[in-house]
Amino acid sequence: MNTATGASSTSNDDRQSPNEDDQNGTYECNICLETANDPVVSMCGHLFCWSCLHQWLETRPNRQTCPVCKAGISKDKVIPIYGRGNPNPQDPREKLPPRPAGQRSEPETSNPFQNFGFGGDGNFQFSFGIGAFPFGMFASTFNLNDGRPGPPSPNSPQQAEEQFLSKVFLWVAIIFIFWLLIA
Amino acid sequence: MANIAEQRIKREFREVVKSDEVAACNIKVELVNDNFTELRGEIGGPPDTAYEGGNFKLEINIPETYPFNPPQVKFVTKIWHPNISSVTGAICLDILKDQWAAAMTLRTVLLSLQALLAAAEPDDPQDAVVAQQYKDNNAIFQRTARHWTTAYAGGPNIDAELEEKVTSMKNMGFDEHKARVALSTKDWDVTRAAEYLIS
Repeated sequence: MNTATGASSTSNDDRQSPNEDDQNGTYECNICLETANDPVVSMCGHLFCWSCLHQWLETRPNRQTCPVCKAGISKDKVIPIYGRGNPNPQDPREKLPPRPAGQRSEPETSNPFQNFGFGGDGNFQFSFGIGAFPFGMFASTFNLNDGRPGPPSPNSPQQAEEQFLSKVFLWVAIIFIFWLLIA
Repeated sequence: MANIAEQRIKREFREVVKSDEVAACNIKVELVNDNFTELRGEIGGPPDTAYEGGNFKLEINIPETYPFNPPQVKFVTKIWHPNISSVTGAICLDILKDQWAAAMTLRTVLLSLQALLAAAEPDDPQDAVVAQQYKDNNAIFQRTARHWTTAYAGGPNIDAELEEKVTSMKNMGFDEHKARVALSTKDWDVTRAAEYLIS
């Protein structure tokens, strides 16, 4: 039982610095159990290293669930945590896609529906649907955040192309109206 | 072995050894080799079940991809349970298959197995014979499971009648374990068990 002796010496160490141990436990990654490196947090509030969570999501792409509470989880729905100091100035993440960026939501999101969700882990998907509903409607009704590109800059090849196309369509329209008249 | 698997097993090891539940719930983990791929677990039979008083040994293999894939666990101690093969010790438990989550640990796996002993799932069986007996003749199942706990896991309850039947078949020249399996399978009918072994 060489392991038992190893464990007892460890617990002695822990007793010497109990506060430090508690502190570390709060910010441990739920997968590797070490202090989270490149930390991200899921919508259900569970903390992971980005590399650990990424590997978990890659392991089972068809059924992406939180490793702790099995709530739905995806790359787009985790929030990175940016502390003040950067413990690793040299970032060893070449092989991984970068940690997802933070999303800025507009301050007006304090609508009555928001209190509906985000509390329970299980009903998260459902609540989110309700909470987002009025915004979806606004966006489609008033054409806010329209995704189409603006007009091209003058004298660019795109502009020439568009002018050519509009001429072609104009002639097609004229020919069509003419055909209608003689038919 | 991937570094993360080894690091995690080391941390978990401390967790299992340190936690108070170890003494309370009778769970134990030991190392078999030094590279943390093979472990030996032990769980106590839950109280107020047929497995009470028994100590069940488990073989735990840590895959290289741990904790992204579950550890491979099987019973080394022979056990009579609908979700555990009485022949190989293979376990049918969802968290050891598709319901595994990376935040689970050796401790939670062992506690889940202990819970499985207390609450069998005969509709999702690993051992069809045992599951059938569990559903059709639960009293016999309980007696058989208790008898197996005593015979293989050091349980304290000796069922004289069942012991006698095993001994009588042993005297007929059958291997003790084979005789016990046959008797358990045939609801402790000596004649049918003997026919089963001969055929």
